[in-house]
Amino acid sequence: MADSLLRGVEEASRSLEKVLLGKQQQIRLALTCLLSQGHLLIEDLPGMGKTTLAHGLARVLGLEDQRVQFTSDMLPADIIGVSVFEPSSGEFRFHAGPVFCQLLLADEINRTTPKTQSALLEAMEEGQVTADGHSYRLPKPFFVIATQNPVTQFGTFPLPESQLDRFLMRISLGYPAPEVERQLLLGGDTRSMLDSLPRSLTPNDLLDIQQHCSQVHASSSVIDYLQRLIQFTRDSELFSYGVSPRGGLALLRSARTWAWLDGRTHLVPEDIQQVLEPVIGHRIRPAEEIGSHAGKRLVNELLAQVDVLG
Amino acid sequence: MKQLSRAAVLWQLAAFFATLAPHLSWLPFWLIALAIITPGIRLMIYSGRWPLPHWSVKLVLVLAVIGGLLLTFTRETGMAATVSLLIAGLALKMIEIYHRRDALVLLYVSLFVSGTAFLFHQSILMALYALFNLVLIIAALNSIYQDPLRNDWLRPLKRSLRLLGFALPLMLVLFIVFPRIGPLWSVPMNQNAARSGLSDQMAPGDISRLTRSNDLAFRATFDGAVPPPQQRYWRSMVYGNYDGRTWSRVSRGDQFRLADVELISDATPLAYEVVFEASNNPWLVALDQPSAAPAGSFLTKGNAPLRYRPVDRRISYQSSALLDYRLQPDLTDFDREIYLQLPEGSDPRSRELAERWRQESGTDDAAIVRRAFELFNAEFTYTLTPPQLSGDRVDAFLFDSRQGFCGHFAGALTFLLRSAGIPARVVAGYQGGEWNEREAYLTVRQYDAHAWVEYWQQDEGWIRVDPTAAVAPERVSQQADQLFADDPAFLADTPMARLQFGNAWMLDIRRQIDALNFSWNRWVLNYQGQQMQLLKDLLGEVNLTRLALLFIVPFVLVMALVAWIQLGGRRRPRDPLERALERLLDGFAKRGYRRESRESIQAFSKRMASDFPSMAGELRALANCDEAVRYAARPDGRKALLAAIKACYRALKTIKAPA
Repeated sequence: MADSLLRGVEEASRSLEKVLLGKQQQIRLALTCLLSQGHLLIEDLPGMGKTTLAHGLARVLGLEDQRVQFTSDMLPADIIGVSVFEPSSGEFRFHAGPVFCQLLLADEINRTTPKTQSALLEAMEEGQVTADGHSYRLPKPFFVIATQNPVTQFGTFPLPESQLDRFLMRISLGYPAPEVERQLLLGGDTRSMLDSLPRSLTPNDLLDIQQHCSQVHASSSVIDYLQRLIQFTRDSELFSYGVSPRGGLALLRSARTWAWLDGRTHLVPEDIQQVLEPVIGHRIRPAEEIGSHAGKRLVNELLAQVDVLG
Repeated sequence: MKQLSRAAVLWQLAAFFATLAPHLSWLPFWLIALAIITPGIRLMIYSGRWPLPHWSVKLVLVLAVIGGLLLTFTRETGMAATVSLLIAGLALKMIEIYHRRDALVLLYVSLFVSGTAFLFHQSILMALYALFNLVLIIAALNSIYQDPLRNDWLRPLKRSLRLLGFALPLMLVLFIVFPRIGPLWSVPMNQNAARSGLSDQMAPGDISRLTRSNDLAFRATFDGAVPPPQQRYWRSMVYGNYDGRTWSRVSRGDQFRLADVELISDATPLAYEVVFEASNNPWLVALDQPSAAPAGSFLTKGNAPLRYRPVDRRISYQSSALLDYRLQPDLTDFDREIYLQLPEGSDPRSRELAERWRQESGTDDAAIVRRAFELFNAEFTYTLTPPQLSGDRVDAFLFDSRQGFCGHFAGALTFLLRSAGIPARVVAGYQGGEWNEREAYLTVRQYDAHAWVEYWQQDEGWIRVDPTAAVAPERVSQQADQLFADDPAFLADTPMARLQFGNAWMLDIRRQIDALNFSWNRWVLNYQGQQMQLLKDLLGEVNLTRLALLFIVPFVLVMALVAWIQLGGRRRPRDPLERALERLLDGFAKRGYRRESRESIQAFSKRMASDFPSMAGELRALANCDEAVRYAARPDGRKALLAAIKACYRALKTIKAPA
């Protein structure tokens, strides 16, 4: 059972690699995030393949997806839905918005106002939305993949820390390597390739996989290492604040999924190291401004200073 | 300025109370109350419930305490007042501790006060307690340097024990080498003045009061065999003067005159050593008859040892005794008169009895003594609780009450002998004692106090007779504690001590503790006597260089040990696995391959496998075994892991380290 699920995930991963050339690591992280039941934030410049990755994921995981392009004049109702008076029945009827799906692709989430952002984030946290006093359950599973432009760009509303914390991981794709780019330029239309991607898993499979991942064994040595890492972010003067307990749990959850994807039933420190930057990069902040990519530099410092063996 | 941690505050309280405890027995009540209240206030202040006291409050408290001390110790200016002042200061300091330096003052003064406990108690238990107290104070000192956020309770204690462990060799060396300097000043310790020992006069009931106390009087060891109980008469004082109520020493003047007393004997002197407890009186004890005065004392006219100064602390002295002797075979007319003196016109019935005996016996003085013994033996009772006497006390005792303790019998016999024209005197001291077979020493306690009689015969000198032996021969042949065990008056002031006699094993334990304390007193407290000898044995010739070396060498050794542990000596992991692994990693490091912090054994092995292809197999096995044990929770794999580590190490050793 577990083997067939693992084969399904590997197949999905291979399919995605065909449309997103040379991004093996990011694909695997994205899969890890979704299999850990977490929401994913992709941060990069426009045109780097964010949307392609999101679409591809929805396709290979067999999820029903919706896409919303966020703009600055958008209102919460545009995502959640709206109640409309129907003269024929004399009643208000709720017209569900795009959020009622299994995978919502929220494109350029930092382009819209905080009000709209928070409406979406409530849906992410609670698994339900509220309109006109009625609560409506969202389908299960429900994932959000949000993309955002780096906050240095003009005309954006950066997400506050409390909302960043809702995303299990934040990844960026980056420019492709030259030979990959050449392949890209010579290759065919990604749009049609996306449509032809096979479905490798079903939504039910996802729930089963989550079950398996939560049973991955974490030995006390690994937990010690995890704690030392977290403690370091709290004690060290490099950080203005440390990782929260929720961040620690997120780290453990992601590392377990990573280990399962490796075909193991126990955690090793490398699992934690692999997911460390995506999981805590957006949850920490340097004590003093050290330029862009502060998260990556801090995480490297963290890994260099905390001994795996204790 | 650093905040103090919670653990530090409680350690301070513990150190304070431990320092206070040995003084509880004598401190004035109000001071004890103060010392209990101020730590409570300290806790209230520390927890933030009360503010720090205003300076006016502190001033009032200080003035009140000084006033209280002045009132309590109006007449005494001794150690007790000084130590009380220190303790009061400690108690008051409690309520104004805020900075680290305040806590330092408290603890340093505590160290001093814990030392003053030895002024009041010197037993081995006290020494052990002082050591315990020292551990607490050092722990408290340690805890105030602890980060207030790391509120660790046990660490200060562990550190304190370790520090004292390091200091132990130095302590021993200092004990052996450090010269014992005599006191630079002398402060009277007027505590147990009224409690212990004999006094220089004796009303008949006085000695029976001493039987209420089991305080130690002295201990003695002998160079030869211990004399039998009947010979153990320890003379301390001679009473020649009777005023109708009390017997007293002939004249105060005689204590300043060296006695010129003839003592004739063919016997070999029996040498012995006495460890004499502090009594605040100048008289010592000597076994009948002392042939020479112990150092620092002289023999009085009555041939009893008297010290030039009162015995204000425990002392030890050597003396020797002649068990077979003739003392003062010739008596000057002046002395004869002294020892025949009687108050004018008192006790007519006794005088009459003595004169009748004199007429019936002619010139046979011994017969008169025999008659008196017969009288005592026939109709008298030996008791610890004799009735009160008044008026003509000797008459009242001899003809009415007929109950008495040794003092009554000795006094009455002397009176009778003098009335019959025989020079006689009362001798007070101790009789008997408890022989400790194991350690070979004699313990004499206050309840062994005794009085007997000496009468003088031409050419024979002074002859010892013990009227108590006539009435109660067991008093002389048995130990006092066995004899009086059933008498409710015996040890009435120390019920706990009385309880001990009921039980054989309790008695045994008491003897053992006693033996321990005796050795402690002899070897540790009186060490200065042996210091020079020991140093000579140790060093050969004692000179400054050798002394300095004896001091410096252990000092340097200890310091080197501390430095090595603190600076250089990296602590080795105790787990054999971790140790083997560390050795392996050190081996790689020597060859220029250092494991980075972020690298697990697996990652490191993989990296090494690419640099040392020859040992790739061993490295893979190592990585797998380590993962199994460390991360996959298979503890049964430890053996395999150890083997893998060792295999790797062997493989590594074949590769040469770069020069």
